[in-house]
Amino acid sequence: MPLLEVERVSKAFGGVRAVHDVSFTLQEGELLGIMGPNGSGKTTLFNLIAGALSPDAGRIRLGGQDIAGLPPHRICARGIARTFQLVRPFAGLSALDNVLVGRLYGRVRATTSEAIAEAERLLALVGLEERAGLPASQLTLIDRKRLELARALATAPHLLLLDEFMAGLNPAETASAMTLIRRLATEGMTVLMVEHIVWALMDLSRRIIVLSAGEKIAEGPPPAVAADPAVVDVYLGADRESRPRA
Amino acid sequence: MTRLGKRQLGWAAAILIFLAALALLPLAVGRDDVLNFVFLILLSITLAESWNIVAGYAGQVNLGHAAFFGLGALVARTLWIGGTPIVLAMAAGAGVATALALLIGVAAFRLRGAYFAIGTLALGEISRTTVGNVLSDISTLPTATISAYRLSHRYYLALALAAVSVAAVAALAASRVGLGMQAIREDEDAAAASGVGALGLKLTALALSTGLAGLAGGLFAYYHISYYPSHPFSPHWTFDALLMTFIGGVGTLHGPVLGAVLYVFLKEYLALRWVDFHLLIFGALFIAIVLLLPGGLVQAAERARRLLAR
Repeated sequence: MPLLEVERVSKAFGGVRAVHDVSFTLQEGELLGIMGPNGSGKTTLFNLIAGALSPDAGRIRLGGQDIAGLPPHRICARGIARTFQLVRPFAGLSALDNVLVGRLYGRVRATTSEAIAEAERLLALVGLEERAGLPASQLTLIDRKRLELARALATAPHLLLLDEFMAGLNPAETASAMTLIRRLATEGMTVLMVEHIVWALMDLSRRIIVLSAGEKIAEGPPPAVAADPAVVDVYLGADRESRPRA
Repeated sequence: MTRLGKRQLGWAAAILIFLAALALLPLAVGRDDVLNFVFLILLSITLAESWNIVAGYAGQVNLGHAAFFGLGALVARTLWIGGTPIVLAMAAGAGVATALALLIGVAAFRLRGAYFAIGTLALGEISRTTVGNVLSDISTLPTATISAYRLSHRYYLALALAAVSVAAVAALAASRVGLGMQAIREDEDAAAASGVGALGLKLTALALSTGLAGLAGGLFAYYHISYYPSHPFSPHWTFDALLMTFIGGVGTLHGPVLGAVLYVFLKEYLALRWVDFHLLIFGALFIAIVLLLPGGLVQAAERARRLLAR
């Protein structure tokens, strides 16, 4: 049984079909990438899975159980954690307290001392052990992203959703973020990631789905997706004749 | 629990020792004016800490705190004059205040943004007007009660209540529940995504906060010989609590205590010197603090310490 099953999910805002009839599955331990141009429905799809929005139609199952429409904190308790496209750490709390929130309220109930030990381990994993006592507001963008990742991991998720984790990072930071994600994947974490930086997504994922105007237009291994005419059309324009040849 | 929690526990110990020392005051000083003044500080500490729980920790601004203070006073006074022991009467007042608060909270907390602040502001004014209309006669204690009146009883009750408030906030600050409240204050969506159920925690904060405010109201009813029943519903109780908390440092354990002490001293002094202007001065002080020092005295002390450490 797949870990996550998204079955014919749709969501509209007024007359705009943000996500239309999208289906896919995700196996345990897999890293699946979602790509698509701006406004193609990637973040809406994420919000549907994480419970920030409830779908108009369709089913979302985690480990066989329907989770569509549950509030976000219940979905977190079932084992889905997320990061936000624009980072949202708890600015006034220390880095350690940020991670502790995830540990004390996530899927696993821990005693306080266990929670602190685990939070410190996760801060070290993302490279923030030296800044545990600093308020999140004093961290740089990459460190706030790392912190958010640690907070998400602290909830002990079965599935991790990364919403444009690399956005806003410089090349060196992107490389270090990729190393971190790859490490999580090799340790067996199931990851679903939305990413604008296509080469990073192609590099990390073994399978990619492509959204355009709310619909899934392609799915497959990165080289196949990159060669798919529908994908090329979406990214480079449909009128291929008028494009200068390389 | 956390580093923050540990530092707060140090403050809690310091404040509780200070309060314990105040227990000796009636033995050392027999003057009623001193005891009345310290009583006012102790009542203010309770009121400020109670407001701080829901606004400072859970981030929900309550602009109708006076309604819960007033309701606690009304219920406790009525029961007490009717013959109920004061502690039970106060508990009943707190219970009624909390029940009303939960009713408002369940409705207002489902909506985000200013609904709770506006709803509580309206509640405060509605309850003040209603009580003023229905109970327009001044409430005076029966002669027998007045002749048995002991200021020291009121003083020790105020001391106990202030200690309970400080201990409650300290326990909260160091707990899982308190951390969840702070997460909601910082970012409700991110808190929900981390597994924090906001509604339950907001209601918990509100229940604790208004329960303490109701107890403080009961204490006021026990203390004052005569007042208009609508007086404890006056909005100044809300804004006193808010000012003291902001002056001291919102969302900290010791801030509201420092704020309450400073505020009562200042108010006493200013009210004597500039009777007509003291509200204007407090207004200006509040604006200055919000603009220049949003963390209050606590933040000022930290800045000074950092400057000195250089």
